[in-house]
Amino acid sequence: MNTTTRGADPLGSAFIAELRRIVGRTGIVTEPLELLTYECDGLPHLRHAPPAVVLPSSAEQVQEVVRLCHRHDVPFVARGHGSGLSGGALPIPGGLVIGLARLNRVLDVDIPNRRVTVEPGVTNLEITRQVAAHGFYYAPDPSSQQVCSIGGNVAENSGGAHCLKYGFTVHHVLAVEAVLSNGDLVHLDSSIADASGPDLLGVLVGSEGTLAVVTKVTVRILRRPEAVQTLLAAYDSVSAAGTAVSEIIAAGIIPAAVEIMDGVSLIAVEAAVHPNFPPADAILIVELDGPVAEVHEQFAQVEAICHRAGATTVEVARDEAQRARIWKGRKGAFASMGRVTPNYYVQDGVVPRTKLPEVLDRIRQLEARCGLRIGNVFHAGDGNLHPLICYDEKIAGQSDLAAQVGAEILQYCIDAGGSLTGEHGIGADKAEYMPKMFSDDDLDVMLTVRRAFDPKGLCNPGKVFPTPRLCGEVPGPYHAHPLEKAGLAERF
Amino acid sequence: MQLVGERRGGPSGPAGIDGVMPREVVEPASAEEVAAMLASASKQRTSVVVRGGGTKMGWGRTPSALDVVLSTTRLNAVVAHEHADLTATMQAGARLDEVNHVLARHGQWLPIESAFDGSTIGGAIATNDSGPLRHRYGAPRDLLIGIRLALTDGRLIKAGGNVVKNVAGYDIGRLMSGSHGSLAAIVSATFKLSPLPAATQTLVATFDRADTLVTAVSAITTSQLEPAAVEVRTRSSIGSGFSRTSGPFELLLKFESTPASLNTYVQRARALMQSTDSQVVSSQSELDLWREHIRALWRSAGMVVRFAWLPASLSAVLTFAEELRNTVADVELIGRAALGSGLFRIDADVLVQRNIVERMRSRSDIFRHVVVLRAEPSLKQQLDVWGALGDAGSLGASVKHALDPNGILNAGRGPV
Repeated sequence: MNTTTRGADPLGSAFIAELRRIVGRTGIVTEPLELLTYECDGLPHLRHAPPAVVLPSSAEQVQEVVRLCHRHDVPFVARGHGSGLSGGALPIPGGLVIGLARLNRVLDVDIPNRRVTVEPGVTNLEITRQVAAHGFYYAPDPSSQQVCSIGGNVAENSGGAHCLKYGFTVHHVLAVEAVLSNGDLVHLDSSIADASGPDLLGVLVGSEGTLAVVTKVTVRILRRPEAVQTLLAAYDSVSAAGTAVSEIIAAGIIPAAVEIMDGVSLIAVEAAVHPNFPPADAILIVELDGPVAEVHEQFAQVEAICHRAGATTVEVARDEAQRARIWKGRKGAFASMGRVTPNYYVQDGVVPRTKLPEVLDRIRQLEARCGLRIGNVFHAGDGNLHPLICYDEKIAGQSDLAAQVGAEILQYCIDAGGSLTGEHGIGADKAEYMPKMFSDDDLDVMLTVRRAFDPKGLCNPGKVFPTPRLCGEVPGPYHAHPLEKAGLAERF
Repeated sequence: MQLVGERRGGPSGPAGIDGVMPREVVEPASAEEVAAMLASASKQRTSVVVRGGGTKMGWGRTPSALDVVLSTTRLNAVVAHEHADLTATMQAGARLDEVNHVLARHGQWLPIESAFDGSTIGGAIATNDSGPLRHRYGAPRDLLIGIRLALTDGRLIKAGGNVVKNVAGYDIGRLMSGSHGSLAAIVSATFKLSPLPAATQTLVATFDRADTLVTAVSAITTSQLEPAAVEVRTRSSIGSGFSRTSGPFELLLKFESTPASLNTYVQRARALMQSTDSQVVSSQSELDLWREHIRALWRSAGMVVRFAWLPASLSAVLTFAEELRNTVADVELIGRAALGSGLFRIDADVLVQRNIVERMRSRSDIFRHVVVLRAEPSLKQQLDVWGALGDAGSLGASVKHALDPNGILNAGRGPV
């Protein structure tokens, strides 16, 4: 579209009027101050205020809005609750934001068939709340699960601490209803597995909003495990904790979760959420779940391994309250970083588990060289790092330096045979690094698939795939996310 | 350009489909040769069917003509087994049984089962075919973490990677899952692995009535026992795979755990079921039981239909099976009771078979995704083996056209 002829109102007043007709007066946001709420997601250093945000309240309205965009060649980005960490919901210059927060109905809780159908604006944790009384839960548990939307989880293929054993969002989504870029409504249904033909649903999950707008999601729910046992082991070094992890895996045990937190992150969480962790340079959290007999037997093995690897203390959660305290410390880690640094930048690279010591060592050397503190909280079982690069935006050059350090760490992950992202997505944040991991041909095939879904390229352009940086995407200084400002959410 | 790969076969070759013989069979020795071969075929508009172990070649429509069969038989290496990372990479033509033989050296395995000896990695991905252990481990696509493909334009591309957790870029491996060789040729793949279970035991329970079996399945899946497989089967009137003579319904529960835990689970499972008869099977008999369970149905004559159902519709599925038994002499059902996925084998007149498929497709309240996997060519001419693909059909066609613009791969045979 031609933005120059439309001046300050890039969408045009006729377009806005048409949107208003579809969603009603209260379904559209055009006030500059209100639009600030939508200028970024959980990656606040990329921001761009959109010209308008539309808030449809039904799939039919989403269809009409998308059809309108298609007619006028207006690009759009679907937004859930804005807790994404890779700028996937960053507004597109001259494009429309379709906020799905009002599509927040739980449509069907089907215990006999072990599935729940919801609209995309329902939060991750709400699904578990709906079925908990029946003894079931929804397995993927990103740390932001209290606020993040299931639509966002589908877009990002979100993981969480327990995906080592239970898999990612893609392993738990049974069917979606989605609006294609031409406004067509499609139902992609795997019925768990046996739909004939290419697994289009599996491609849609994790496509970061670049293929369609999801308007309905059916997920499978799992029976709560009979036993859950959690321990916390303290170590003098991250590498000693890492040794314990390797030995657990070598023993043929697949824990439900294996997490490591380093010294910097421990100081932060102790100050912020007071989990009362023992003093240590590294904390290892291991959780086993399953039927009682097996959990007890394997847990004893895990305890022994933790001691053998040199744990200074091993604390076993005796009850649900203690277990909750341990997880509060872990899941609150990102949110707590404000206690040790004015700003931080989190990366999400993955390395083969056996390369963890080597890559952590390179990060330590980088830390000494660059002068910025780098904390680390990571999913050790699957090699998914979350380096937290601490900086102060008020010190000239530090915010750029943090971004460079982040890029360097991602390069280490690629060098080790890993990936740019384990669960946060590429988004706008890492799109420019995709050529580090994929050849032009690899990326071209993905773009070919994209064109098959969205020939005009209207669904969330500028994300996932490298493009020349758009003016709205210039990294800027950190500002608190509007949700944070309003005290509605913490950063995860 | 010179055509690549070793050539053999021709009209008398072994690789025919429904009686249609390929003009030639090529056996490329490298990924580059596969890519060059596809590029040349695409340029010449020559139809290509990719063949792994050749165990499921009949799946799909009958081809009107068949130019080239591209066999992956020489691409059969296990490229890497990173046992400490629980991952492995193998070429598409590597046989599942041989792969698992290699992985077992480090006490690991790729938990993909096949009813056919000689099934390959590429075939497992392309068909997304799985067995009873899908209950615990998922289908091949759930274990796939990276893939390398040869495209019809001659390019070699990859997607995913070597790490178990990775959301960078589109999951093209998923796109290949269930594509039945219609989009690209798989040249190699990386999977996440599992430790071999420390010990296993299977409880086989027999039921006289469908409703008591349904109640038993519900009791098991509502309990916090975590069986690795929950299989239902009905006795064939010919009685091929059955270990016992009493009761027409069987429930097979496989438990994988530590040796000390197994007895507890089996006893608890037994207590939860009102079975007239149950027995615990272990060691070699257990291996034989499961091997026979997935293979028996394919050894007997008749049409094989795959279908899905909502787990709570198990009772309706069993009732349907009983009704069939009243009209058809030889009917057999096996399935994943808790997932809702199974196979019917029906040996009857072609017209009767066609009516049964049509009845199943008309009962979408019970049956979903009714696909005819094995049938006489005469039956395949009377119905679409894949059935309606719904909304996914036109999207699938767009993807097919984008990746295979000249329509050479599995032309007219695959689901897209």
